[in-house]
Amino acid sequence: MFDVFANLGLGFTVALTLKNIGLCFLGCLIGTLVGVLPGVGPVATIAILLPVTLSLDPTGALIMLAGIYYGAQYGGSTTAILVNIPGEATAVVTALDGHQMARNGQGGLALGLAAIGSFIAGTVATIVIAAVGVPMTRFGLLFGPAEYFSLMIMGLVLAVVLAHGSILKAVSMIAVGVLLSCIGADMETGRERMTFDLPMLHDGIEFVVIAMGVFGFAEIFKNLADPEKRDVVRGAIGRLWPAWRELKENLAPMLRGTALGSILGVLPGNGAILGPFASYAVEKRLSKTPERFGKGMPAAVAGPESANNAGAQTSFIPLLTLGLPPNAVMALMVGAMMIQGIVPGPQVIERNPELFWGLIASMWIGNLMLVIINLPLIGLWVKLLQIPYRLLFPGIVVFCCIGLFSISNDPAQVIMAAVFGLVGYTLFKLGFEAAPLALGFVLGDLLEQKLRQALIISNGDPSTFVRSPLSAALLLVGLVALVMAVLPAIRRSRDEVFVENT
Amino acid sequence: MSDQASPPSARFPWSQDGLAGLALVAFGAVMFWAGLELPFVTKSGGVGSGLLPRLLAGLVVLLGIAQLVLAHRRPGEGTGSWPLARFLPVFVGVVAFALTIRGAAIGPLAIPPLGMAVAAPLAIIGSGLAAKEARIGELVVFAVLLTAFCVGVFRYGLGLSIPVAPWLIGF
Repeated sequence: MFDVFANLGLGFTVALTLKNIGLCFLGCLIGTLVGVLPGVGPVATIAILLPVTLSLDPTGALIMLAGIYYGAQYGGSTTAILVNIPGEATAVVTALDGHQMARNGQGGLALGLAAIGSFIAGTVATIVIAAVGVPMTRFGLLFGPAEYFSLMIMGLVLAVVLAHGSILKAVSMIAVGVLLSCIGADMETGRERMTFDLPMLHDGIEFVVIAMGVFGFAEIFKNLADPEKRDVVRGAIGRLWPAWRELKENLAPMLRGTALGSILGVLPGNGAILGPFASYAVEKRLSKTPERFGKGMPAAVAGPESANNAGAQTSFIPLLTLGLPPNAVMALMVGAMMIQGIVPGPQVIERNPELFWGLIASMWIGNLMLVIINLPLIGLWVKLLQIPYRLLFPGIVVFCCIGLFSISNDPAQVIMAAVFGLVGYTLFKLGFEAAPLALGFVLGDLLEQKLRQALIISNGDPSTFVRSPLSAALLLVGLVALVMAVLPAIRRSRDEVFVENT
Repeated sequence: MSDQASPPSARFPWSQDGLAGLALVAFGAVMFWAGLELPFVTKSGGVGSGLLPRLLAGLVVLLGIAQLVLAHRRPGEGTGSWPLARFLPVFVGVVAFALTIRGAAIGPLAIPPLGMAVAAPLAIIGSGLAAKEARIGELVVFAVLLTAFCVGVFRYGLGLSIPVAPWLIGF
C-alpha cells in the first residue's frame, strides 16, 4: 500500500511541473471545446486533436491526450444534457434525464452534479489504477509471445462480444482492420505488401489517417446526409452548484456509479460502455420514486455520469499494464504511443516510470481541472452549442486537414483520410461499426509480431498456443465468451440491454 | 441511430446485410489477389510475409459468404439513399487544400506553395458549400476569421512548421 503512494508521489512530481500542468489544462480545455460540438464524440475529438500532440515529448503528449479525453467526455455530457445529442453510446443515459432536467430549468444542476460526480469517480479510479497497475504489470511480464498472442485474441473476441449489433459483422471488421495493418513494408524483411504500387502506401497506412477518416470525416458525411434535429435549451440554465441537500442525496448514487464503472471499465472489450446502463438500472431499482426516472431525476444523471467517468479511467488499466486497448479511444492512445516510439505493454512501467506514473497522476489533475474550468466556462459552451452546423463542419474539415498535413507534411495523407471518410460512411450504411476496425488495425502489427516470435521459439509448431497453460486458458476464455454470445438465449438478453441504448 | 423512418426492405442481395456480405467478399478477394506473390513461409521455415495477410483475406471472404447466406435466409432492410453527390464539395475542399498547402505539379500545371493563407479558406469554403443552407457571404467571413485563428493556434501556439503564406511573408 505504501508503494502505491510512493509511486503516485513520483507521478505528481512529473505531472505538477509547470509545463505538464499547462499541457493538461490545454488538453482539457480544447478537449471540452471540441467535444462540446454536437455530433463530435470523444473518439472523433481525439482523432481530430491527435496531431496537435505530435511535437511534444512522449510524457507531455500522453498527458495532454488524457486531458483531451476527459475534456471530450465532459463536453459530450454537456451536449447530451443541453442539446440531447449524445456524442457516444455512454452519454445516451445522461441525455435521458439530463435533458429533461435542462428543460425544467435545472440544466445547471445537471451539469454541476455531472462535474462533481465525475470528479469523485476520477479520484477513486486514479487510486484504483495506481493500486492495480503494479500487480497487473507483474502478471503481464509472465507473458511470452504465445501468451501475448492469445491475450490479444481474447481481447479482440471480448470486444466483439460486448459490442452492439451483429457479432458476424464485428468479427469481420476486426479481420479487415488487421488486414489493413498488413499493408506496407513487412516489418522483418522490408518487403512491400499489398501496396498496389501506390507510393502513399509504402510505409503502411497511418493510424491517424484511418481514425480521422472513419471517425471524423465519416461523421460529417453522416450528418450531411441526415441532418440531426437539434433541440438546444434556450431558457435559463439555472444555478450550477447543487445545494447541500441535493449533494447529499446524490452522493450515494455517485459512489455506486463509481464502483460499477470502475469494475466494468477494466474488462477487455468495451466494458466501460456498460457502466452507465448498469448504474441507471441500479438507481432506478433502489429509488423510492422510480416513476420520476426519465422525467428529470438528478440521481439518474449523477450515478451514470460517475460510472461513465470511472470506466473511462479504469479502461486505461489494460492499456497501460498489458498494452491491450479495450476500446476505440484506447486504440487511439496506442496509436499516439506508437508514434512517440513507445510500445505499450508491461515493460512501460519499468522503462518509462515517469511516463506511467505521471500519466496516472495527471488523470486526477485533469479531473480537478475539469471542475475548475467547466463550471465558470459553461456560458461559453452554451454559446458554442448555438453555432449552426453549416459553419461547424467546415471548421472541423479544416482542423482535420491541418492536423493530417502536419503529421508528415504530406498532402496525400489529407486526401487519403477523406477517402477513408467515405469508407467509414459506407460501413455505417452497411451496418458495420468502425470501432472494431480501429482496434484490429492498431493491434495488427503487434499480433503479427507475436505470432512470428512464438512460432520461431516453437520451431514452427503451432501447438505452442495450446501447450502453454496460460495461453490455452486465455484462448478458452475467448472461445467460451464467443460461444455464449452466439447462443440464442443469451444473445436475446444481450440484445435487450442494447435496445435501451438506441 | 437517428429516428428516421426505417428504409424499405430490399430484395437479396440489395439488402443492408447482402451488400455488407458482397463488400466483404470483394475486399477480401482484392487483398488476397494483392498478396498472392507474398511467400507463406520464409526459407528458414519462419512465418512468411504472406501468411497472415492471405489467411486474413481468406477469412474476410469466408465471413462475407456467411453474411450473404444469412442475408439470403432472412429478408432485410435496404440501405436507404446514398446522397454521395452532396459530399462532393467536401472532397473539392480537401483536394484544394492538399494541392495548395505546399504546392503541387499535375502534368503541365504547376501550383506554387500557397500555404495556410490560401489552403485553409479553400477547404472551409469548398466544404461549407456542401450544406443545404450554405450562405456564401457568411462562409467567406467565417473562413477569414477561422484561418487567422488556425494560423495563430497551429503555427504560433503549437509551433507546427506548416507554411503560412510563402508567397507573401516567406514562410
